Amino acid sequence: MEEFDQVEILLVEDNALDAELTMRGLKDQKLANRITWVKDGEEALDYVFKRGAYASRPDPGPRLILLDLKMPRVGGIEVTRALKGDERTRRIPIVIMTSSKEESDIVDSYNLGANSYIVKPLDFDSLAEVARQAGFYWLAINRAPG
Amino acid sequence: MELRTSIHRKFALVTLLTAAIALAITGTAMLFYDLRSFRSAWITDLDAQAGIVGFAAAPAIEFQDPQTAAAYLASLRGKPTIMAAAIYSASGSRFASYVAEGAPAVEFPALPGTDGHRLGGSEVELFRRIVSGPEILGTVYIRARYDVAARLWRYVGICGAAMAFSLLAAFLVSQRVQRIVTAPILEIARVARDVMDRRDFSARAKQASDDEIGVLAQAFNGMLTEIERVMGERERAEAALVDSEERLLALNAELEQRVALRTAELEAANKDLEGFSYSVSHDLRAPIRAVGGFAALLGEDHGAELGEEAKRKLGIIRSEAARMGHLIDDLLAFSRLGRRAIEPVDIDMEAMARMVYERVGGENRARTVEFRLGSLPTVRGDRALFEQVWVNLLSNALKFSAKREKALIEVDSITTGNELVYFVRDNGAGFDPRYQSKLFGVFQRLHRDEEFTGTGVGLALVHRIVTRHGGRVWAEGKPDHGATFYFSLPRETGDGGV
Repeated sequence: MEEFDQVEILLVEDNALDAELTMRGLKDQKLANRITWVKDGEEALDYVFKRGAYASRPDPGPRLILLDLKMPRVGGIEVTRALKGDERTRRIPIVIMTSSKEESDIVDSYNLGANSYIVKPLDFDSLAEVARQAGFYWLAINRAPG
Repeated sequence: MELRTSIHRKFALVTLLTAAIALAITGTAMLFYDLRSFRSAWITDLDAQAGIVGFAAAPAIEFQDPQTAAAYLASLRGKPTIMAAAIYSASGSRFASYVAEGAPAVEFPALPGTDGHRLGGSEVELFRRIVSGPEILGTVYIRARYDVAARLWRYVGICGAAMAFSLLAAFLVSQRVQRIVTAPILEIARVARDVMDRRDFSARAKQASDDEIGVLAQAFNGMLTEIERVMGERERAEAALVDSEERLLALNAELEQRVALRTAELEAANKDLEGFSYSVSHDLRAPIRAVGGFAALLGEDHGAELGEEAKRKLGIIRSEAARMGHLIDDLLAFSRLGRRAIEPVDIDMEAMARMVYERVGGENRARTVEFRLGSLPTVRGDRALFEQVWVNLLSNALKFSAKREKALIEVDSITTGNELVYFVRDNGAGFDPRYQSKLFGVFQRLHRDEEFTGTGVGLALVHRIVTRHGGRVWAEGKPDHGATFYFSLPRETGDGGV
């Protein structure tokens, strides 16, 4: 599982309890050693684009984003739209995590380019699979220039 | 105007023709009669002349004085038509003769004939014996031109003039008289033209006479009255129609407005409901998730510190949290159903029932289940929703017959006059008919959870789906004697609308 050393995961979740459960799950699945948790969409965008409080965050930045949909201020749909619409960030896999089974949410998310969609309580097997693929993807990208 | 000339001309023609024919016939008859009487008068006259001459010349014959006799004959000069005359003696020799001046050479008969006349060509010869007592003294002979042609021409001239005057008179009279006849007709024609040109059915022809034309005018006026009445009625009916159409349109507009208003209200209500569902799905599930999740973490992280009883209670917390999650999911599914638009397609219900039965695990159970599938008619409806109906009914049937050693599940259909009825029958736990009314309510359960698990939403979903397709649901059952769940759908009326 050393591939995942490369993968920094950004968790965007406004509910502290959900965040704790998710991080615990990720650790149990040995999916990542570095998880950054931000509490809403605005913070998430600041983090990804190195703005505001996160202007001096270490590179290379998140390689996988776990994104809640319903958050105060900037929601998950807007974050997806912003990241998938930007050339610098559109290759970062986004996994939507939500308690909503609304079809419109699922359709909107995929239309905007979300890579996966996981309904809470987290299906950690699927999440592990997504993270694994993301890890392989970034490993391949990182090694290609070398 | 053509009409006017035409009828006038025809009248004049008829009048003149009639007059001409009458005059011609009269003239001809008169001429014929006149010629006859003229001839007979003329001959009588000649005979009388011959008699007078003979009477006068009788002494001259007795005294053998031909000169005196010739002088008497010469007195016939006054009659220019007499061309020649002669007196024969009793012995038959010509005694004296007379020839009119300018007359052609005359050949006298050698012997006198008997009394009488003879017409020949344009001449007449006449003999008249001279009688003195019983003695015949001689015979007078007269030869005269029968001048009928001159008389005829004169006569024709007079007749022609009379005819011309008559016709002129007739023409003038007809000009006057025909006005009496044609004026009412022309009046009717004028009114008819007015009616045609101006569509004015209130016009009336003056009834100027009591004859057939008067009757015609009367009938024409009657017809106009009737037409005017009918037209008036039609106009009123049309006006009423237009009026009611306008009112209908106004009503329609009002209705549409009301519908639009209601739709907007409904849409708003739907939006609220959607928002509510969303909140429920997100906000209500978060705490439950936390309860379940942290109970799990407690078990994992601190399991060693907990006694068996603590672990059992922790297990209850976890499973109840999970159950609440399911309840919320089902409730959301149920509310989503109300908002989802139906997409009707033709559904092979038989194939669908078989497919669903296999999917819900009927085929793979360890226990023996006999599945009997009758022939099911095709129906028009929403595929996903009907799949849900079959999933719920068949999984119910499997669930409630689970405790039977030999479970039997029957699926079949009945077609009535206007409905297709489908049913699923099992020989399972059945239900108490007293609680039948609660079967299809949301979160209504007739069995305790220890007996059969479930959230109580399945049949409510079936009810809602079938009702939305215009059908109905009902059930029959007895405790421990199985249950039959029916749902009916209206038969296609041709347009396939549901």
